[in-house]
Amino acid sequence: MRRYSDVGCSLQRSPFLLRSFLGGTYRVTREGVKRLYTWLPLNSSADLGQLAAHISIEYSATTVATKLANGISGAVKAVLIEHNYIDKDYRSTYYNFYAKKGQQYRPDCVRLHFFDETVSFDKNGLKLGWRGDRLDDHYFGYMVLRPTGIATIGRSVVSPDVRSGAKGGSPIITADHKVHLLGHTLSVQGFPSMDQHIDISVCAHAACWSILRHYSESQTAYAERLTHDITMMAQQFNPGGLVPSKGLEISNAERVFQAAGTFPYLVARKAPGSSDISFYRQLIAYVESGFPLFAAMHGLSHAVAVVGYEWDNPAAPPPPSLRYAWDEVKALVVVDDNYLPYQSIPAKSGAPYCAEDIDSFIVALPEKVFYPADAVDRLSPELFKLGGGLLDLPQASDSVVRYFITTASGLRRFMRKESSQFDPKLLEIVMQLPFAQFVWVVEIASRADWDKGQISARAILDATASLRDDMPFWLIHDRTTALVFNRRTIGNAIGGMRALKLNGMTGTALTRMAQNLRPTQPK
Amino acid sequence: MSETEKSEKTVFDVVEGLTEVDSELMKEFQAAMQNVVEETAETIEQRRLRAAQSRHIQLKC
Repeated sequence: MRRYSDVGCSLQRSPFLLRSFLGGTYRVTREGVKRLYTWLPLNSSADLGQLAAHISIEYSATTVATKLANGISGAVKAVLIEHNYIDKDYRSTYYNFYAKKGQQYRPDCVRLHFFDETVSFDKNGLKLGWRGDRLDDHYFGYMVLRPTGIATIGRSVVSPDVRSGAKGGSPIITADHKVHLLGHTLSVQGFPSMDQHIDISVCAHAACWSILRHYSESQTAYAERLTHDITMMAQQFNPGGLVPSKGLEISNAERVFQAAGTFPYLVARKAPGSSDISFYRQLIAYVESGFPLFAAMHGLSHAVAVVGYEWDNPAAPPPPSLRYAWDEVKALVVVDDNYLPYQSIPAKSGAPYCAEDIDSFIVALPEKVFYPADAVDRLSPELFKLGGGLLDLPQASDSVVRYFITTASGLRRFMRKESSQFDPKLLEIVMQLPFAQFVWVVEIASRADWDKGQISARAILDATASLRDDMPFWLIHDRTTALVFNRRTIGNAIGGMRALKLNGMTGTALTRMAQNLRPTQPK
Repeated sequence: MSETEKSEKTVFDVVEGLTEVDSELMKEFQAAMQNVVEETAETIEQRRLRAAQSRHIQLKC
């Protein structure tokens, strides 16, 4: 092995040499030896403490290691440390803030990649080895560390499957995120997260950034917004380096979402002391629709992104009453910049806070959603008036109601995929109705159907209907009858209606439509 | 409706087996929905006022 002095002499001839020894791959420069990739096997979570031996102090590796040890599952068996990583989000804050400070900050980051036990690393060839076809199947995502000394966890996309305590089947809003590593293009499904910077951004900025990064990764209509972009979008003027640390008003968060091209809708709970269960029913409806929510807790002056939930699984059936999807929720899953992502918070009462501490939320809607969730919430129980005469619906006291937004194409895709459940004539109607881009779907399930993930009836509403539209329906059907509404005849909703007797659906299971979120599969 | 729109076929023209609906039953339902509209309009206004009050809440933790 060449001595370090030999390496130093070589600098005169060639300033950049690659050597592999002592567990890492190094780049030799005039400034000294810089390690680029370090492989850290994890026999237990305690091995995460070795991160500090490989990462310099400004990245606060010890603090990060403690968070990871407490927050990720034992399925993560190795970490690949990527040094000198250029992170676009950190660079946006570096150029506009950190580079202007008296204290000198590095411009580069460290990126940690998480793998399972089947992956190995050849440090000489810089090659990853794995069992099976796809490396993606063994990759759990990444975490960027910023050289800021405090709150160093930067842009991260970690799979919810490796979050400690993850509940199997919990629906989480995710998107596919591409990761370029050592010549591989990997994909990880997750929701973006980061610590707040504390100075140039706080909790509200981090929540806005998470939601907008999810939007830009999942839909081409939305541009990517870097961390400093969010800071600028929140204000009418350049806030400089002092104002962001004072926090954001909720109106500033609305401004961010509006500037990003969405149509933010602020929903606030009714005055304290008055019951407002409808607020939580709408909250879960938007999450079930695939819209992450900017949720504000006024008493805590804190904001988080709501990205999923856990269904309750009570030991005994609840007493007979009309129930809603919110009544079946045990916990919400949030991205809170004070914790690793996918923190579970109880629906009612718990530490550090619970869902009932949420006082308002912003849902960043697309343009063509005009019919408010409050109207769908109020309208849903009226559907039971169609039972006994026109439709065969379960008793309201034995039912669970769920409503959400989806696209007309999403509805058609679902019904095409599950076509064996439907009368071909019903499919024909759904494929030919001139839906607007978005529809509200109301599903009614008997208790027995709900427990099996099935429904008894489904109503499709026009999401572009006016609040004053007393018949905002496209279609309502159960297993035996479909009511079809002609929305081309304005002012004569009943005259334009038709009914269709459905065949072949009494013996089939009508599956609950749940395609917007990804069920967690704990590893 | 224009002549063009009148000549265009709709789902009501192409799907066989569609029948008229008992209008008396639907009128009851429509009356109930009209109450929904009025109550919803009141709720929306209450929420709008609460949202307006919320906009100045500072989030900094």
